[in-house]
Amino acid sequence: MELIVLLGLPFFMGMVVFFVNQDRFKKILFLSTTSLHLLTTMSFWQRKPHDVQFNAFLGFDALSLLILGLVSILFFAVSIYLIGFLKEEEHRSNRIFIACLLCLLSAMTLVTLSRHMGLLWIAIETATLLSAPSINFYRNPRSIEATWKYLLISSIGVALALLGTLFLGVSATTIKTVFLENILNNAASLSPSWLKLSIIFLIVGYGTKMGLAPMHTWKPDAYGEAPAPVGAIMSGALTGCAFLAIFRVTQICFHAHLEKFVSPIFILLGLLSLGIAAIFILGQKDFNRMLGYSSVEHMGILVLGLGLGGGAIWASLFHAVNNAFAKGLIFLVAGNLYQNFRSKKVSAEGGPAAGGEIIRGVIHQLPATGLFLILGFIVIAGFPPFGIFYSELLILKEAILTQRYMIVFLYFLFLSVIFWGFSEVILGMAFGKPADNAPPKIKKENIFTIIPLAILTFVLLFSGVFVPQFLYDLINEASALLGG
Amino acid sequence: MTECNGMWLELALILIVFLGVIILGNNRLGTIIQIFALQSFVLSTTPLLIYPGLHAVAIMIVTIILKVILMPSLLFWAMRHVSIRWEVQPLIGYGKTLILGGFLMSVAFLISSKLELPAKEISNLLIPSAFSVVMMGFLLLVSRFKAITQVIGYLVMENGIFLFALLLLEKTPLLVEMGILLDIFVGVLVMGIVVNHINREFGSGSTINLTNLKD
Repeated sequence: MELIVLLGLPFFMGMVVFFVNQDRFKKILFLSTTSLHLLTTMSFWQRKPHDVQFNAFLGFDALSLLILGLVSILFFAVSIYLIGFLKEEEHRSNRIFIACLLCLLSAMTLVTLSRHMGLLWIAIETATLLSAPSINFYRNPRSIEATWKYLLISSIGVALALLGTLFLGVSATTIKTVFLENILNNAASLSPSWLKLSIIFLIVGYGTKMGLAPMHTWKPDAYGEAPAPVGAIMSGALTGCAFLAIFRVTQICFHAHLEKFVSPIFILLGLLSLGIAAIFILGQKDFNRMLGYSSVEHMGILVLGLGLGGGAIWASLFHAVNNAFAKGLIFLVAGNLYQNFRSKKVSAEGGPAAGGEIIRGVIHQLPATGLFLILGFIVIAGFPPFGIFYSELLILKEAILTQRYMIVFLYFLFLSVIFWGFSEVILGMAFGKPADNAPPKIKKENIFTIIPLAILTFVLLFSGVFVPQFLYDLINEASALLGG
Repeated sequence: MTECNGMWLELALILIVFLGVIILGNNRLGTIIQIFALQSFVLSTTPLLIYPGLHAVAIMIVTIILKVILMPSLLFWAMRHVSIRWEVQPLIGYGKTLILGGFLMSVAFLISSKLELPAKEISNLLIPSAFSVVMMGFLLLVSRFKAITQVIGYLVMENGIFLFALLLLEKTPLLVEMGILLDIFVGVLVMGIVVNHINREFGSGSTINLTNLKD
């Protein structure tokens, strides 16, 4: 029953939406589907996750439940947001857009549920393909370019992940399956040379999907051109799904005693992502592209945590939860800004965002959005008391404890540079004076585009500040999967 | 596996690699699509040569429907819409691409000699040819500008991955293989549609125009 609501319903509704013409009906369908999905997901929070096994292919563990929660909450927030968002974009066809989003929910649920490496691959590939048409919502040359780059780079990445999955199968010739349970239980009997090859391919493949440097090049383009709700879902939920895949790979390494082999790879990728993000966030002229690089940064922190191991694994999972909601919040804010200013420009020079006015003085023109912009900045930049501050601190602590001072130095340096770049842009946007030729005008704010921001802020408070016991247990149990 | 089957298998593998080389050296899009269809057809027979049985027949039929009939016709449809016949100016010249392809083939043999199979080998040629085809597809992907040629490069890469999958045919459930094939098909479908969009917005199917987004 739960399985039907989680997997079948969004897919079925996606098909239904395709044949519906009325806008209001489509929005109601979307909202009711995501609400049901969220309610079902919440019903699992009360139960022990490892008791829920549907069949050999589908089941829960603590990690899947964690990521499913992210996906579900984000989709719920976005479904409310879309009521206001699509009102402003009434002249554009949204049939394919909503249908793709609904099927995407189904595909992401499948990612979290799958207990088979082949099925996991199928689910991630499906999610990639379904998110591509929704990037191309505005149908202009820039969004087509972004869609093409996203499709091509992600497809290559996912193809490499498929190769990795096959190599994993070859290394598991003695056990003859790639079910996660069987592989973890018989990890010692896997052929080491093929397993190592497989791990490299899987990390590069799913790392592309997650947007780790140097495979991140699609990310600023796709996030920059996608409509804001899609950006929120991709940077919050889809990267979470890719992180889950990477976590599964790490789990296999952990059971096969290959931590020594994999942790330098993760640390390298993590620091590289942080470095690239630091370079490109500084002096960024397009708000959405800057958020894309911020996502590269946070993905870097996630794998850095996995690479450091120990207490950093807990921090990494905690970070994944908080980052997802924070990204959701700030992307929806970016959507409000774009719909009012019709521009993503944040600095006077040209650059890719040339044309359109510069976003300035948000707090005076759009008070509610401005407030959430500042809040989102506080969360993402890692101010206390929000969760990201603690997870970043815990990762720093782990690096100091293991006496890897080079990592500590670079981590600190990159984070400070990113903080500097971020605060310069966002404070300018929020408090800066509009250019002289544009008289400050009060613009309208749709209530439906404000409610989801409030919901996400509320969720952020509970995922980061007042952490409820079940979330705490869930993260503990998930990090125990890697011995953290 | 009988002696005779082994011979046919090796012949098929050589043919697959050979067709890959022809794709690398060709600049007529129509011919490239046809050769890709031929390569996929030869590919679809290989499961039957290794593990004769119902399972292999099922895979062969699905492969033929998707990779020999549907995908090439989709590509032809896209090509007609984009109304281009030639790859105008590749990033790397055709001669150089061929030489690079030969070099990649030798690399493939080198890598394969380092990796030992945990189980009995099906054919000595299987892994090197799979590596070669994957790398040729990748080469095609990075060295051409036409969106359609890039899609074909992706597909050639998938053909190479299919060869790797042959190693596992006995133990992957049918469901998973079908899902994988279907995903690839949908991938090409989406790419085909985007190619069409690129053409409508930019007036040519060349990705060389896609340079608006950069830092």
